[in-house]
Amino acid sequence: MIRESMIMKIHYATALGSVALVVIHVLFRLTQNFHDSLKFDNVITNYSLLPYSILLELILILISIHGFNGLRVILLELNQGQKYETIITYGCLASMIALITYGSRTILMTSMGMI
Amino acid sequence: MNKQHNNRIGIKAWLNPWRYGIERFAYWLMRITGVGLLVYFIMHIYETSSILDGKEIWNKMLDLTQTPEGHLILVLVIGMSTFHTINGIRIMLGHGGIGVGKASRPDYPYAPKSQNMKNKLCIYASIGLAALAMLYSVEVMFGE
Repeated sequence: MIRESMIMKIHYATALGSVALVVIHVLFRLTQNFHDSLKFDNVITNYSLLPYSILLELILILISIHGFNGLRVILLELNQGQKYETIITYGCLASMIALITYGSRTILMTSMGMI
Repeated sequence: MNKQHNNRIGIKAWLNPWRYGIERFAYWLMRITGVGLLVYFIMHIYETSSILDGKEIWNKMLDLTQTPEGHLILVLVIGMSTFHTINGIRIMLGHGGIGVGKASRPDYPYAPKSQNMKNKLCIYASIGLAALAMLYSVEVMFGE
């Protein structure tokens, strides 16, 4: 098991990393008219850029780790107990892995033109 | 045998933002915005996955989300993320010992030094900047 102090360092590092990357992600939407930037062809063009796909994958991983660890912390503040804490920890970990897998599938398949 | 009292208030205490001042309000808001942003993030991952089903399904999904209601949700998300980010940086600095004052002997009225004016101002600034970000996003999404 990782120490809680180390988990909080990871929590803060993922927070700072995701803030920096999300700013770039949002700026991409503002390079043109907001509605136009969401058009199918524009989005496909965005995904076909390798650096942008890597950016999306990093955002997915960082926010998933930060978000599900944050949820775990909130739920552990509300209630304690060995069984409860184990269920919450592994439940959040499993949800995080599931979300990263699902999101990665979209990024990989779209960037490789498999649509 | 000792009688055990069930005096745990639980979520009712957690949800009370008024009793402990602006710091308690920030604590509460930090958790609410965190959960809200996680819910939005999961929805966003699901929404964008519709691109795999082709242009028609993508456009149908856009029709669902690119509505005044959808834009209002986005405005709220921008406000939540701004507050969560700025207040999060304040908390990180506090955990690193920055801006919480030096340790000293506790004297009456035992006001915690860590909850000083700098921290209070930071919380008010987080709320103010979140409001400004929301105003800007209204301009971007509804002003076209």
